Amino acid sequence: MQQDSRPSRPWWLAAIVVALGAVCVLGAASLPAASRYAGIGPGTVPRLVGIALIVLGLILAVQIARGETFEPQGTENADAALPMNPLAFALALVAAVLPIFALQTLGLPLVAMVSFTLVARSFGSRRLLVDLVSGAILGALAWYLFDRLGLQLGGFMPFAGLG
Amino acid sequence: MFMRNILAATVAAVALVSAAQADVSVMIPADPGGGWDGTGRQAMAAMAAAGIYTEGVNFTNTGGAGGTIGLAAFQNAQTAKPDSLAVFGAITVGSIILNDSPLDLSDFTPIARLTAEYDVLAVDAGSDIETLAQFVEALKADPGANPVGGGSAGGVDQIALALLAQEAGVPVPDLNYIPQASGAETVTAIVNGTLKAGISGISEFQQFAEQGRIRILGVTAAERHPALPDVPTFAEEGFNVEIANWRGFLGSPDMPADNAAEWVARFDQLNDSAEWQQVLETQGWGQYYLSGPAFGDFVADETDRIGEILREAGLAD
Amino acid sequence: MGSFDYLLHGFGIALQPMNLLWALIGSALGTAIGVLPGIGPALTIALLLPVTVAIAPTAAFIMFAGVLYGAMYGGSTTSILINTPGESGSMMTALEGNKMARDGRGAAALATAAIGSFVAGTIATIALTFLAPYVAELAFIFRPADYFALILLAFCSVAVVMGSSRVRGFIALLLGIAMGTVGIDVMTGQPRLNFGVMGLLNGIELTVVLVSLFAVGEILFVASRYDPGQETPISVRGRWMTREDFRRSWKPWLRGTVLGFPMGVLPGGGSEIPTMLSYTLERKLCEKPEEFGTTGAIEGVAGPEAANNAAAAGVLVPLLTLGLPTSATAAILLAAFQNYGLQPGPNLFTSNADLVWGLIASLYIGNAMLLILNLPLVGMWVRLLSIPKPQLYAGILVFALIGIWGVSGSQIDLIVMVIVGVAGYVMRVYDFPIAPVLIGLILGPMAEYQLRTALLSRQGSPWVLVETPISIAFLVVAALTFVLPPLIRRLRARS
Repeated sequence: MQQDSRPSRPWWLAAIVVALGAVCVLGAASLPAASRYAGIGPGTVPRLVGIALIVLGLILAVQIARGETFEPQGTENADAALPMNPLAFALALVAAVLPIFALQTLGLPLVAMVSFTLVARSFGSRRLLVDLVSGAILGALAWYLFDRLGLQLGGFMPFAGLG
Repeated sequence: MFMRNILAATVAAVALVSAAQADVSVMIPADPGGGWDGTGRQAMAAMAAAGIYTEGVNFTNTGGAGGTIGLAAFQNAQTAKPDSLAVFGAITVGSIILNDSPLDLSDFTPIARLTAEYDVLAVDAGSDIETLAQFVEALKADPGANPVGGGSAGGVDQIALALLAQEAGVPVPDLNYIPQASGAETVTAIVNGTLKAGISGISEFQQFAEQGRIRILGVTAAERHPALPDVPTFAEEGFNVEIANWRGFLGSPDMPADNAAEWVARFDQLNDSAEWQQVLETQGWGQYYLSGPAFGDFVADETDRIGEILREAGLAD
Repeated sequence: MGSFDYLLHGFGIALQPMNLLWALIGSALGTAIGVLPGIGPALTIALLLPVTVAIAPTAAFIMFAGVLYGAMYGGSTTSILINTPGESGSMMTALEGNKMARDGRGAAALATAAIGSFVAGTIATIALTFLAPYVAELAFIFRPADYFALILLAFCSVAVVMGSSRVRGFIALLLGIAMGTVGIDVMTGQPRLNFGVMGLLNGIELTVVLVSLFAVGEILFVASRYDPGQETPISVRGRWMTREDFRRSWKPWLRGTVLGFPMGVLPGGGSEIPTMLSYTLERKLCEKPEEFGTTGAIEGVAGPEAANNAAAAGVLVPLLTLGLPTSATAAILLAAFQNYGLQPGPNLFTSNADLVWGLIASLYIGNAMLLILNLPLVGMWVRLLSIPKPQLYAGILVFALIGIWGVSGSQIDLIVMVIVGVAGYVMRVYDFPIAPVLIGLILGPMAEYQLRTALLSRQGSPWVLVETPISIAFLVVAALTFVLPPLIRRLRARS
């Protein structure tokens, strides 16, 4: 961590943990807490896990209040000390979100092409054409191989009526 | 280099798309590799081998929740399609009720029931319980202290136990049924004393009985099983319970009548073919054939019977 | 039949040409992913899972074992030549190995790493061979309460050991357990925590979570903080191992094995701790401590590399014999077993002897193959490093998509992928350990199942949980994992 970055206070982390715990507790509320012979039922474990998450979230909040520091994990090719590059993050995120909406209509090869290009671009690649072509080939080959294996990867290009 | 790759990919793509124009689509509402997957693929393969139906077959696997997820997708996408089939089985009937699934099996076109496996009930080899009647006595005396293990909740094994209890006058909600991951796990739990008895398919228990780890008390078939000639049926022991874990094929909802008749005829032919007999033998599946409207009536009866017993067990409302 | 007869039988299976081919494919693939950044053995096996549809279980597991061992070999190559460890277990290797390479002894460092991995892998596999059947006998002794206590122990040690903070370790673990409760309750068949979503009835798949955390989360993280400054690998050439190097290496190899194997067997042990311990130990025992951190000491490569491989083999012991995964890779192997409808555990040794012993035999063969792949052919693998990073990470995303979409074809899984991927990003930025999520996801449902079975079998009496000495022992050790580390820290601070 650099000198200039004073301990940030990511309260929202604690809030998310508490919220996830609450979701578990709420979801368990409609389930029977006890079954006839076990003394505990399908709702018991989700409820306990939810409560534990809420408690841990509160402990985390206390730690944050006390100035706990959070240092990004070191990974290859990434410099943890670098500030976040929001544009690169957004491009990579779009690449991951796109398939939700597009895989069923556009088919794997096209989606692979676009997502491949987006990720490569987010890593600073400028070779747009090469990326598009590599992505399309990768997607088409994978589609073919998996189809031979007997797996379903959806239509080849469903919107065009292929596959 | 790149141009060559593109060319290769294009050729491959064209080849595939032409190859992928399958005539019949088969929904397998389970993950690849399991029993339903085997039933669906082997039946269609045998049909092709026997020359009954040799066109392409397009399989889709959508697993989960006893087949209800796959069948719901099948209903949405394939209604009124002429050549769309789906695999399903006894487990689906229970799962629809347990999961409050909006599916209604009578909406689909009944095609054929192909295979079945009967259940057996077993206790530890060293147990002092020697007969099914003795076991039922113990169960009557204290159902909670006699935990019984078997397949997944609401599945055929649990239904079989519930039917037995019903016959014997033991309140079904009092049963202490513990679902197990597999037949082998059930045997382990019987041997280490966690369970008093286990109920499972014949093929899963047979080897352990031969090893002398467990003692099989009864089989849920109408007649004794050829592999277990010394094991009495439940009926012989005085409990009128007959239930099987069956598997079969459904057609799409509102399938045109001509197509439905054609598929029923094809499965009739399949059932008589040497190729299918071969599959039954290698897989160890029992033949349990019924087709067309008669199969539809059977499914309706099973739905009533299983629904009633699940409600009585307190598993469904 | 004793272990030895079974092993011979296993060799008969593993030496079949097709199985040898699968071992080769797995070893080569494992080495490649070990060399490449951003993709580890767990992720690779997750992406290979769809293959299980098409090939027999024995062949699949022989391939997966090759991937598991191969990644350990490949990781050391990257560590030594470009000072970026491909796997967390290779971190210590990078310290001395890279210094040796800079000092013109790169070939010697690579050789001691490869031979050390081979020696450790082989010894650990022998230990696995003769230990496993005894552990397997536990099946008929272990009761649900014992399993439950064992899993609690695994939870505690994983959450305490992995990562820098216990609170964050437990949060990660509980998030995994919470995800594990989604779907149909196995005991009653009731849907749980799916909030009316049909696609969640089947639960959240381990593969989806693993691919999302390791591939999508990693891509988001690296993209947002990408450091294109590429280090060019140091030439592989250089002095090979001398007689002196061998003399200095063999003891560290053996010591590393002795440290690594038991740590791999223990839940939460993983490969980080044994390699670190081995490094510290060798540094203390070395005749030429001045080489450490300057020109690079060969002991500092030999020990940790051996420990690393021995730990990888150790992980297989609880997995095969008890069905208990102790690392992310083991968790995904368990998922692969379940794909085939197989439940690892004591029964596997009797019901699927061919598979188990074929797999164990193939570990010996795979190790020998890897030695060949990594000694003479090391230059080939180094060339992989010239794949440009943008396209490499883009390719990983495409494979992640295929891995998720190919198995289920479910839109819900794609949504889960994005949510969990973003969570993986946040966890990396705020230093939450990742592995406990996976351990929680796979062991959480098991723990719940064993707990409820134990209670059902004794009609709800909680005393069943402390009924046997085994369960009491596990629970005590679990409690100790909480108490001991702070106690040791305090004692150390006082002295």
